[in-house]
Amino acid sequence: MNALRAAWAIAAKDLRIEWRSRTAILTASLFAILVELIIVFGRDAGTVSYAMLAPSVLWITIALSSLVALNRAFLLEREHGALEGILAAPVNRSALFWGKWFANLVFVLAVVTVAFPLWVLFFNVEPSTGLYGVMGLAVLGAIGFTAVGTVFSAMTVRTRHAELLLPVLMLPFMLPPVFFAAQATMRLLGGRPMEELWGWLRLLALFDVVFLVLATLIFPAVVDE
Amino acid sequence: MTLDLAQADGHIRRGRVVTLLGLAALAALYVMALQFTPPERFQGLAQKIFYIHPPAAYAMQLAFVMTGIASLIYLLLKDARFDRFAEASAEVGMVLAVIVVITGPIWGKPVWGAWWTWEPRLTFTVIEMLVFGGYFALRGAVRDPAERAKFAAVVGIMALVLVPFNHMTVYLFASQHPEPVVVQTGKPELPWVMLRSFITGFVVFTVLYMGMVMQRYGIGAKRDIREALDA
Amino acid sequence: MPDTGSYMVAAYIVTAVIVVGYAVNLWRRGR
Repeated sequence: MNALRAAWAIAAKDLRIEWRSRTAILTASLFAILVELIIVFGRDAGTVSYAMLAPSVLWITIALSSLVALNRAFLLEREHGALEGILAAPVNRSALFWGKWFANLVFVLAVVTVAFPLWVLFFNVEPSTGLYGVMGLAVLGAIGFTAVGTVFSAMTVRTRHAELLLPVLMLPFMLPPVFFAAQATMRLLGGRPMEELWGWLRLLALFDVVFLVLATLIFPAVVDE
Repeated sequence: MTLDLAQADGHIRRGRVVTLLGLAALAALYVMALQFTPPERFQGLAQKIFYIHPPAAYAMQLAFVMTGIASLIYLLLKDARFDRFAEASAEVGMVLAVIVVITGPIWGKPVWGAWWTWEPRLTFTVIEMLVFGGYFALRGAVRDPAERAKFAAVVGIMALVLVPFNHMTVYLFASQHPEPVVVQTGKPELPWVMLRSFITGFVVFTVLYMGMVMQRYGIGAKRDIREALDA
Repeated sequence: MPDTGSYMVAAYIVTAVIVVGYAVNLWRRGR
């Protein structure tokens, strides 16, 4: 209980800082919109329809904007030497992870919230109840890779070329969840029956559980001296 | 310190002997596969690539799994020897992966009619290479040896846990699109003359893996000793 | 039987070059 409260305090602190300046979240949202735009202009307009591209675009956008968001997950702490302060406090390391992870998750989902309606608009996605399912998928997908990203970000921020290293480390770990989620998105948008979705949802949930547990266990090793 | 250096040199020397044995065995495998194994009827001589490609793929997987296990032990014991071993095994794994991703398409071109078909095991190898590319990029970006070892171990463990997900992804992905087939490759019983060469391939690459890791471990040990002296 | 001998030769040569090349590289670094 105590650990949960500490985690919440850390997440709330991060989110309060983000909310106060709002620059990072706005910039990350702009980035997400630009990703959608560049795919529109990079596509072969004659043969590839917007509808065909829609699921891929959504997941490429979520993956790339998550990288941008996670890159700055520990930047504040590094710039002000605040991580040492948090580590000096009698806070459980796993609680620190949960706090940072939750703040990252909320950040990523906030960016997705901005990018999502524009994705529907730009790619002529047929409005249907399936879209709620796709939103749920975005949450389910983001849980796993923000967990991996929080651990990697805590490491890369302490290296040279952090902003280059994080994507290189993270993208291979994003392949499975992005693949599972994109497959589920295609089926949701195509109005396929639920039976075709379960397998993909289960895989996505499995990825989330496994890497959330692993990240929780391994994060203390990253921050402790 | 001098004792450690002598120890490192011992690893290198023994590694060299084992590697030379492996190289000799590789030459023997070549003679065995090319001279004393009959060609397969449907694929022709290209089938003989299979006396090196799957053994290299197995040795690569062995190397990366060993890196993962050594990484886990390192995080638990903080003993630099396990970090050195993890690094050595990962590097040898990369070299083996290069063999896998080059010989795979060379076989695929005549048999499937295309150099690259997103065949699951090859795709898997490419993803593993990218994961360990990140592993080495991270190693290169951290100056403090203890921190470098710690961060690398974290990636090594995460990479090990990613393996089954990676497998699921590439196989499910491959099942999404039909595979082009030029030559039918059934799963016939492998006659003993072919099986013999196939098994030899696995032994050869295991010996090469061991010898190369021993050498690379010794090289890492020497580097660590020099770094400690400079500091 | 299809004529695929050149592919086989290419694969065998590439493998030998990589294995021997890395072995030589290790030998040099070990000095």
